Amino acid sequence: MATRRLTRQEQLQQTIMYPVDWLEERSGLVGGLRYFLFRKVPGDINWFQTLGSATLTAFIVQALTGSILAMYYKPDPNSAYPSIQHITNDVWAGWLVRGMHRWGASVFIILMFMHMGRVFLFGAYKYPRELNWILGVLLLAMGLGEGFTGYLLPWDQTAYWATVVGININGTAPFLGPFIAQFLQGGTAINPDTLARFYAIHMLMIPGAIFALIGLHLYLVIRLGVTSPPWSKEAAGTGPSPNGRVTKTRRGLMRPGTRRNGR
Amino acid sequence: MASDRIVERRRVFQQYKEDVKERGKPFYPYAMWHDTIMSLVVVCVIIGLAIVWKYSTPGNHIGTEPGWLGKLYDAPADPGTINFVPRPDWYFYFLFYLLRIFKWPESVILGTIGLPTLFLVLLLAVPFYDLRAERRLGRRPVAIIAAILVVLSMGILTYKGATAKEALGSELKALVPKWAADEGYTGNKQAVAGANLFAVAGCANCHTYNGAGGQYPGAPNLTAEGAKNKGIAFQIAHLKCPACVNPGSPMPSFTGLGDARLKSLATFLEASKGKK
Repeated sequence: MATRRLTRQEQLQQTIMYPVDWLEERSGLVGGLRYFLFRKVPGDINWFQTLGSATLTAFIVQALTGSILAMYYKPDPNSAYPSIQHITNDVWAGWLVRGMHRWGASVFIILMFMHMGRVFLFGAYKYPRELNWILGVLLLAMGLGEGFTGYLLPWDQTAYWATVVGININGTAPFLGPFIAQFLQGGTAINPDTLARFYAIHMLMIPGAIFALIGLHLYLVIRLGVTSPPWSKEAAGTGPSPNGRVTKTRRGLMRPGTRRNGR
Repeated sequence: MASDRIVERRRVFQQYKEDVKERGKPFYPYAMWHDTIMSLVVVCVIIGLAIVWKYSTPGNHIGTEPGWLGKLYDAPADPGTINFVPRPDWYFYFLFYLLRIFKWPESVILGTIGLPTLFLVLLLAVPFYDLRAERRLGRRPVAIIAAILVVLSMGILTYKGATAKEALGSELKALVPKWAADEGYTGNKQAVAGANLFAVAGCANCHTYNGAGGQYPGAPNLTAEGAKNKGIAFQIAHLKCPACVNPGSPMPSFTGLGDARLKSLATFLEASKGKK
């Protein structure tokens, strides 16, 4: 009996694991995921270090709600405003999706600034994480670009005139200014093509760049590891000397096993 | 010296990696648990804002009446409008308000392009001029002071931008007789008509005139515009295409007002020789 049951269990296990093993053999993705999930992080990381993943979550909310809005929105000067009204007033939960996109943008931008503030105060941009700081600043610029281009899309008075002045201000930049303004407008003044252009920039160009930058940003986070808070006396990497190993009673870098047993 | 520092920081990072490998905890479930909670909070806040935006809108929660979080949407865009308020989303207020600090036209480019570009470059380069390995806050006074100053100035600029009142067309219109008396064009009907147009067409959202308006952005004071004697033809050409006669001007075109109104506005501007 016992042997037979074991065999069945083994069979079941093999059936479940077969596609996983198949995928692993051909891509290495399973090992990659395992490495991502079970990689070690300092034991004394704290809540401020969740701001990065919170920013990512806000971006995912933007990507999802934005995709849904794109199913109803019409980037044409004659129908853009009615389509916004349609989304807000008629489409089932359209007001919710649009509201989430509208305010998710603010949350995304606040979180980017807070995450940047955390990295700055923790000194986490220092060697060897300089590149990741640069990627982060580029992401911030891209995020603000999303805010600027998305603001025009409802094609109402506020949107239109803020964008007219915004483009004109861009246009005052030395050397590049006129080219930037012309690129944004698709001409020498705001015209019917401008809206479609802002739409393309807002939902294809910049989001594509953001996805790529986030990918690199996360790759570097995983490769270089997470920093300990600077105020922690037990912070990883700040031990007294390379060979003077510290005792295991230190609080900050708790072994997972110890923690599970009762504390 | 420099190479010592490089050797030292490599050693510290190596030790960091060993410390974490030896005594760190796995990302799953410890850190991931916190991340998940935080992400849920973020999503809830976003949904909450969307709900408040919709359900604080007066009436049956549709239309252009502002609720607690502002209008669901404004009136449709009208390039030929005679009254508008150029106002970006709130997180650009600090940039927008920066324009007020600089004087048109000599230094306004500092506010529009100069300072933001400088700030961006300084931000990108942080890891390259802050080369010390020190991360403890108490030992980084310069970094702390810089951070506080940046947060404070951005906060103040955002607050100023948020509370800057737009001049209401109706309130300004009541001032027109006083303007005409102050500047001595009460008898000039076309100039008075232009002044009324100036009051309602949103000009005073950027420009100061006779002590009124001028909340936004770095636009010249027009109280004594006529004293420059540029001529009515110039004023009309400028209103039609500001950047054509005044390269680099961010002012939008007012062609939509039509020739007759533009003539009145130009007459009004030329008649404005400053307070008598």
